[in-house]
Amino acid sequence: MIEFKNVNKWFGKLHVLRDINLEVPAGEVLVICGPSGSGKSTLIRCINRLEKFQKGELYVDGQPLHDHSINLTKLRADIGFVFQQFHLYPHMTALQNVTLAPINVRKMNRDEAEELGRRMLARVGLSDKADAYPAQLSGGQQQRVAIARGLAMSPKIMLFDEPTSALDPEMIGEVLDVMIQLAEEGMTMCVVTHEMGFARQVAHRVIFMDEGQLVETGKPDAFFDNPETERAAQFISKILTH
Amino acid sequence: MIAEYASRLIQIIPFFLKGLLMTVVVSGISLVLSTALGFILGILRTGRSRLVSRSIGLYVDVMRGTPFVVQIFIVFFILPEWGLQLDALPAAILALTAMTSAFICEVVAGGIRAVPKGQWEAAAASGLNKFQQLKLVILPQAMRTILPPLVGQYVLMIKDSSVVSVIGVTELTRVGWQTVVRIPEGLMVFTLVGVLYFVICYPLIRLSNSLEQRLSQESVRL
Ligand SMILES: Nc1ncnc2c1ncn2[C@@H]1O[C@H](COP(=O)(O)OP(=O)(O)O)[C@@H](O)[C@H]1O
Ligand SMILES: [Mg+2]
Repeated sequence: MIEFKNVNKWFGKLHVLRDINLEVPAGEVLVICGPSGSGKSTLIRCINRLEKFQKGELYVDGQPLHDHSINLTKLRADIGFVFQQFHLYPHMTALQNVTLAPINVRKMNRDEAEELGRRMLARVGLSDKADAYPAQLSGGQQQRVAIARGLAMSPKIMLFDEPTSALDPEMIGEVLDVMIQLAEEGMTMCVVTHEMGFARQVAHRVIFMDEGQLVETGKPDAFFDNPETERAAQFISKILTH
Repeated sequence: MIAEYASRLIQIIPFFLKGLLMTVVVSGISLVLSTALGFILGILRTGRSRLVSRSIGLYVDVMRGTPFVVQIFIVFFILPEWGLQLDALPAAILALTAMTSAFICEVVAGGIRAVPKGQWEAAAASGLNKFQQLKLVILPQAMRTILPPLVGQYVLMIKDSSVVSVIGVTELTRVGWQTVVRIPEGLMVFTLVGVLYFVICYPLIRLSNSLEQRLSQESVRL
């Protein structure tokens, strides 16, 4: 479903992705962790081409992203992206947030889209918030609307960039529950997160990044209990004492 | 004495209303054109092409850094030498549009830049194309920043339209000049001119203020 081949990216002189090789088959739940600034966001933002890269090859759903002539809007329509800061549209209700892309990208008619939107909001437990504006919702609720917004496009892949990092601790659970349910339904997911519980429960694989390199890959339990590299071990001890 | 004053006033008022009408026509047409052009320029100004953005920036600086009276002389007296001969009215509209669109361009660009980058990213990530991102997500949010100063620009433009009297457009200010050489009540004439400008500008000033207040209250709610 996703295949990185020797992908390299620079921000000016800064080499942020170094020879990334990674394959994510359909249905896999992949957790990406690593210290801040190691290139995790850049990595998953390459998958829907929110970031360009300069060297290497990347195939997503059969499409070559290194080829700059591909149809980007089509690619992005099939990939859901959930941001750390939610980025809901503040001038629209929850339902309008969810139906915007189905109406304008999938060309669904309004009634159909609203029906779909309400189903998606129900799926994240927010049936009663359809007409609320983002500012009237808690952080956890906003992030669940953002997930519903992604799901409404029937994506083949869902990408999450630290979806719980901006939340108060008491709201993390409600968002993780939605993500766990999604994982159990077989969604292909790449999740940047330090939530070890989530990783152990549903991830098929954890990858560890440091300084733009993919340093270690493993099954969640093996990775967290017996990391192979010194750098991963240090990182895990840090998030444990956190 | 007072009766004479009043009868003089009644005599001249029809001319002033005709002048006012011309001011409204010149300003109104320029307002529509400069808004359309200003939005297009403002959107391109924030676009990805450096060359386009810089060129527009230069245009804006030139328009903002030169007196309007000089601009209108150039349009009316110099452009004909380059083969573009315009009557006074179209020349006035062209000059007002050129100047005001530069100011509106900066207002629009500022409003667009004030929308967080994450909004573009969220819209792009959901598969909306550039035009849809702008129309459905960015501009509706940018309008909150754009509207109050935009209406303010309209007020400035209406007042600046008095300058087009220098090329012979018989709008309000020119009617004032024409009248004052014929009757002795100079104070009355220009008070009347001022009052009539104020009558069209005041509602816009109120609108701008109330938009500012309403939109800032809304942003507190958001
Ligand atoms: N738009 C950008 N321009 C320049 N440098 C950037 C940009 N985005 C990220 N970086 C840099 O790239 C590196 C990797 O960033 P990022 O992928 O956000 O790391 P992470 O998500 O692991 O914290 C960091 O050093 C960061 O400062
Ligand atoms: Mg990050």
